[in-house]
Amino acid sequence: MPAGPRADRRDFYEILGVPRTATQDEIQQAYRKLARQHHPDVNKDPGAEDRFKEISEAHDVLSDPQIRRRYDAFGPGFRQVPEDVDPEAFQRSQAGAGTAGAGQARGPGGAGGFGAGPGDDLGGINIEDLLGGIFGGRGFGPIPGADAEAELELTVEEAFQGGRRSVTLEGPDGRRTLEVKIPAGVTNGQRIRLAGQGGRGSEGARNGDLYFVVQIAPHPRYRVDGRDLYVDLPLAPWEAALGTTAAVETPRGEMKVKVPSGTSTGKRLRLRHHGLPHPRGSAGHLYAEVRIMVPAKLTDEERRLFEQLAEVSTFDPRRR
Amino acid sequence: MGYALVLVRSASLDLEAFARATGTHPDLVRRLVALGILDAHRDAAGELWFAPSQVAVMGRVQRLRAGFGLNYAAVGLVTDLLDRIAALEAALREARQQGR
Repeated sequence: MPAGPRADRRDFYEILGVPRTATQDEIQQAYRKLARQHHPDVNKDPGAEDRFKEISEAHDVLSDPQIRRRYDAFGPGFRQVPEDVDPEAFQRSQAGAGTAGAGQARGPGGAGGFGAGPGDDLGGINIEDLLGGIFGGRGFGPIPGADAEAELELTVEEAFQGGRRSVTLEGPDGRRTLEVKIPAGVTNGQRIRLAGQGGRGSEGARNGDLYFVVQIAPHPRYRVDGRDLYVDLPLAPWEAALGTTAAVETPRGEMKVKVPSGTSTGKRLRLRHHGLPHPRGSAGHLYAEVRIMVPAKLTDEERRLFEQLAEVSTFDPRRR
Repeated sequence: MGYALVLVRSASLDLEAFARATGTHPDLVRRLVALGILDAHRDAAGELWFAPSQVAVMGRVQRLRAGFGLNYAAVGLVTDLLDRIAALEAALREARQQGR
């Protein structure tokens, strides 16, 4: 739903980034540049549509010399000032008599209370209603809203378990908080769709959708490739040589993995279907990658045994 | 109570239904198909059929036209470029992720 008039509605000149003395050419130029940057089909940021709307609104007013003159004279409430009020006379009366000028200019339409200075409330009139939305009301008929996109960073654990998460999006209309349902087993780059939360359609046309693109945050333990998870499995040289059973941390908890004898660094031990789940298929795998570690400092006894091993063994890992 | 189950032809829209769904005129829709901006399937009788995804494509065409005053040939170019940029950005995101 379009928000009502904002109390902090920004000045149209400020929105376009031009001085109040700007020429029509300068206004056109500023508008074209900003429109290209913030058009919701070019800029997928969820706030882009609101910015584009502000820019279009500012342009609509300032690009028409007559409307611009009225805006300059009456401020943001200019649409409530009757057509027949002379801007110059109004300004003179404002300067001279303060609030009394407002009463004098009140038209037969009974719009009333238009004496709002710049920055004041618009008295409940919604400019969007008057303009008919950004794309509508210009002879184009109803136009559906654009899809928007935002990134959603998840931990490996969140991707594994799924669940709910509230996400706050910043926009010129203020913040909005959305409840996002994260399906278990989402992967990097996957898009979560929030129907109707994208750009607003004009004249009753459908709203666009908002897509959250999942990005799985780097994890101290797991590396992620699609639905497969990789985790380091540090082994002592004798464990790797003789074989052992080692504990591996998985998102589901600790698992035991059997290490066969004669396992070298780089070997991957697969835990079938212990990677990220797949909502409509089989889960990814978890690979424990062997890394042989040695003690940084040997005890005398360890040194003696390693030296003995070095003397006896004919093993040469660099032999071709 | 019961409803007869009717087989719906893959939810494709014919020209009239598509024009209604997008709030546009069938002549305009035909022109955009001729320009290669909208994808349509022509059946044996020569009738145009549209996938539901083309409704969103039409929305984008209308927004770009309204926002920039583009003619339809230019809209075709802009939508092609936007699609290419989106594909490049997705590839870049993937590459960045594998790199870290």
